[in-house]
Amino acid sequence: MSAVTSDPPRTAARQAIRQMPVSLLVVLGLIVLLLAIGVIASPRFASLNNFRNIFQQSAALGFVSLGQTIVVLTGGIDLSVGAMISLTSNFTSGWIDGDPNMVVPVVVGVIALGAAIGCVNGALSHYLRVHPLIVTLGMAAILQGCTLLYSLAPVGKVTDDFEAFAYGRIFGLSYGGLAMLALFALVGVFLHRTRTGNAIYVVGGDARGARLLGISVAWTMMLAYAMSGACAALTAVYLVSRMGSGDPWRGDGFDLASITPVVVGGTALSGGRGGPLGTLLGVYLISLLNNILNFMDVSTFYQWIVQGLIIITAVAIHVEKGRRA
Amino acid sequence: MSEPVSGELPTDRAASSFPTGQLLSKYGLLGFLVANALVVSVLSPAFLKPENIANVLTQAAPLGIVVLGQTFVLLVGGVDLSVASVMATSAVIATGFAATDNRMVPVIFAAAIGLGLVVGLVNGFLVAKRNVSPFLATLATTIVLQGLRFLYTQGSTGSTLPSAFALMGAGRFIGVPVNLIALVVLAAIFGFVLLVSKYGRKIYLVGNNVRGAILVGLPTDRIIIGCYALCSVIAAIAGLFLVGYVGQVDQWTGKGYELDSIVAAVMGGVAITGGRGNVFGALLGVVVLVVMFNAVILLGLPVQVQLILKGVIVIAASAFYLSGSWERT
Repeated sequence: MSAVTSDPPRTAARQAIRQMPVSLLVVLGLIVLLLAIGVIASPRFASLNNFRNIFQQSAALGFVSLGQTIVVLTGGIDLSVGAMISLTSNFTSGWIDGDPNMVVPVVVGVIALGAAIGCVNGALSHYLRVHPLIVTLGMAAILQGCTLLYSLAPVGKVTDDFEAFAYGRIFGLSYGGLAMLALFALVGVFLHRTRTGNAIYVVGGDARGARLLGISVAWTMMLAYAMSGACAALTAVYLVSRMGSGDPWRGDGFDLASITPVVVGGTALSGGRGGPLGTLLGVYLISLLNNILNFMDVSTFYQWIVQGLIIITAVAIHVEKGRRA
Repeated sequence: MSEPVSGELPTDRAASSFPTGQLLSKYGLLGFLVANALVVSVLSPAFLKPENIANVLTQAAPLGIVVLGQTFVLLVGGVDLSVASVMATSAVIATGFAATDNRMVPVIFAAAIGLGLVVGLVNGFLVAKRNVSPFLATLATTIVLQGLRFLYTQGSTGSTLPSAFALMGAGRFIGVPVNLIALVVLAAIFGFVLLVSKYGRKIYLVGNNVRGAILVGLPTDRIIIGCYALCSVIAAIAGLFLVGYVGQVDQWTGKGYELDSIVAAVMGGVAITGGRGNVFGALLGVVVLVVMFNAVILLGLPVQVQLILKGVIVIAASAFYLSGSWERT
């Protein structure tokens, strides 16, 4: 029992992490179920090539949902990721504009920009005591306004090499999909194995308690939103690589889409519970679902209905206790 | 309410001496609106022309109607993201009748209200009975409704509407926009329910302290479900007014109204955590929003500036009012 007193933040975080497996098993079960349905639905479904495609297509949703997960773990929400993607996607292609020498500086630049804007989100929410929903909603409007001031239409172009991020493959696995997996692993280690990462769980579970434990809530919040901003910018870089250019509306819909895998994966919107592993499974679940529905020649309309029902089902399974906000 | 660890709360400062803070938070937004209107009218004489004001209010009325319902949901500590989807679906239903006869208007209204009622009851059920977070519950109904709507129309929408819709959406009655009259009537009813009736007091009680409300024997679940139902019904009606104004239907009629209605309400002092604010403050938020938008156009600034201003104002207003305040437990 001496371990309890030795390192309270860590113990609290461990406890939070220990609650995960049940919800993860549920999502895994759903994935298996979907695989079975897929095999029955179409003979072309169970091909290696199709799985490689799913692996590739899940990258964009994966990047943005990973950032969202970190913010949701603090008990917040980031509704500015969509506008962030729009802004940074246009900057990426607009600033590179076909010049190979610009690729690295621009990519590093937009990701830093995303992190900086995210940092502002966290700071505003903490210091002005404004709910993250409102802060990020306001930030989304500001960013979308800036995006449209910069350009009303897709702008610039990227180099051929740049497209490798989305289309390049090693052993048939796309770079984008691999990068996403690597980032999930990295963030997972960060959240579960470092003090700062554990602090994110603690702040989400009990901000006042976190302060008593000597955790800087302000710093933790800024870090979480900065990571979400950076992830959104990375999503934009990936999307630009896939589409060949940015677009002032590229991120439209990603705000809410990025939340689905997070909650399906068992991360509680009230914070402190869940983690990137659940989100990763959530991302694959959604990608798999869309893939199967495409094979079944089901229109997007049904896909929406199914997606809505999945959110309801998932949330009903991981019942959120006692919180209504 | 327990003592916060850091004693540096803005409310503490406000309560200390002369109630500057109180006065500011009560009349601050009104003052801001007046100052704003003054500056704009000096810079652009077109602003105070009756025609311009009537136009601005005509454009603002559908949002105002939605905000009434959103306020009720916010007051019980919820949030309704499905209003835009309800608006679009009710607009699609309106054209679905392909009616040209004005006698069909009551039928269309009944169908829209029926839709709103079903959606609102589902939202309320999920939130109150199943304890789903309002954000997710209403997000899910949004997506489901979107799918159903597209299935119903198969992607192409009709545009046949009885002529009364044009009157509802953009017509004038003795110079006053018809939809503004509708908004005022609805606001009076909602304001009465909220501020005078017993039901209104129960809503505040639930919003401020659910556990307390349960302890004194209030049917909290029913009150919460009632607020969601009211919100969706009013959104369905707003959808009809909006389609009357726009004159044609697309699948996304009312897109953005879900967030704008939250923004306006929070700007007007409705607390996102529930229990504080009222419909008139929320409507003031709508007016501030549309006056700003109008000012941007009249002053010849790029339209995009509207978005930036909206973002800045909502954050500033909720920091100022503490209406977006985030009580962390």
